[in-house]
Amino acid sequence: MTVTREELAAFADGELTGERAARVAAAVAADPALAGEVEAHRALRARLADHYAPVAAAPVPDRLAALLTRPREAEVVDFAEAKERRETRRTIPRWGWIVGPALAASLALVLLLPGSGGNGAGYADPQLAAVLDSRLVAEQVPGADTRVLLSFRAQGGEFCRVFSGEGGGGIACRDGDGWRLEALGEGSAGAATDYRMAGASDADLLARAQDMAQGPALDAEAEAEAKANGWR
Amino acid sequence: MLDLLPRLRRFAAGLAGNPADGDDLCQMSLERALANRSRWQEGTRLDSWMYRIMRNIWIDEGRAGTRRRQTFVDEEAGARQGGDGAQEAAVELSYVDRAMQKLPPDQREAVLLVMVEGYAYKEAAEIAGCPVGTLNSRLVRGRDALMAMLGETQ
Repeated sequence: MTVTREELAAFADGELTGERAARVAAAVAADPALAGEVEAHRALRARLADHYAPVAAAPVPDRLAALLTRPREAEVVDFAEAKERRETRRTIPRWGWIVGPALAASLALVLLLPGSGGNGAGYADPQLAAVLDSRLVAEQVPGADTRVLLSFRAQGGEFCRVFSGEGGGGIACRDGDGWRLEALGEGSAGAATDYRMAGASDADLLARAQDMAQGPALDAEAEAEAKANGWR
Repeated sequence: MLDLLPRLRRFAAGLAGNPADGDDLCQMSLERALANRSRWQEGTRLDSWMYRIMRNIWIDEGRAGTRRRQTFVDEEAGARQGGDGAQEAAVELSYVDRAMQKLPPDQREAVLLVMVEGYAYKEAAEIAGCPVGTLNSRLVRGRDALMAMLGETQ
């Protein structure tokens, strides 16, 4: 009669019932090695439970409890608090204001042609450049690999676009020679689901874009106009 | 949901590797849960639903952040060792923490759900989105790896 290690663990965790439990119990009773394994399993379980118990016993930080108790409206209104929350959380987008005007467009998100990292000599390669030249945020096709997150005007006056995709994401600015890559990130996976969320690296890129920008992101109309003028 | 918070924090700290990152994970989970609360079906278990949201975020973040984390591992390890002369308790804690960090995500999750959170295999499998047998074998592999790493530190 053999007892698998999975069965033995299940037995130690009280998962087995009826005949199966009886069979394993008999085997454990007859074999000190098996009994030792059950003992070790339970000892580890107790050790881990003890190890993590202090976290559950500690008072819940206010910032977490507040999420559940504070009226939702207050979060929007209180700027100082919103700022503090941003600073305590890496992954809260730090690019709230820049996306505002582009939001309507980005609801229609998303994806573009299969992208490439486009890192030859600091400029976007022809494929990526074609995407950056032609695609408007509002016009994107679901299911492709690269999406343009938003467009903005940098402090020097150049038009720049934030893009993201499996092949890599980044910020590219249009100068006389083409789309100069200002920043490269990891990009995010290109799943064609109903909704997409900006990944952590997208957030970093958008935060960077916010630093570079001289104003909010272009809305759909301004973006179309910039495209019509060749992004110059 | 307020009553669940201490347990959620514990699970988050176990997944993320330390309480601070755990609380970030916890906050994201709460926000996503609040945003999606209409999806929660009355009559189903709120705790399982919350745990599932949390592990999904953790898995997604892990995929995006692995490279970044690896970059900083050495720096962090150095900082901890050179710290303020951590007490023995902290050293003992870190044995378990370090061992847990070395487990593959699916095994770490299985170990935490069963051995720390006390879920039955069936419930843990539902949270992890895998068959019960798969959960059982992940648990055993994770357990064996932990025992091998922690064996001498009992």
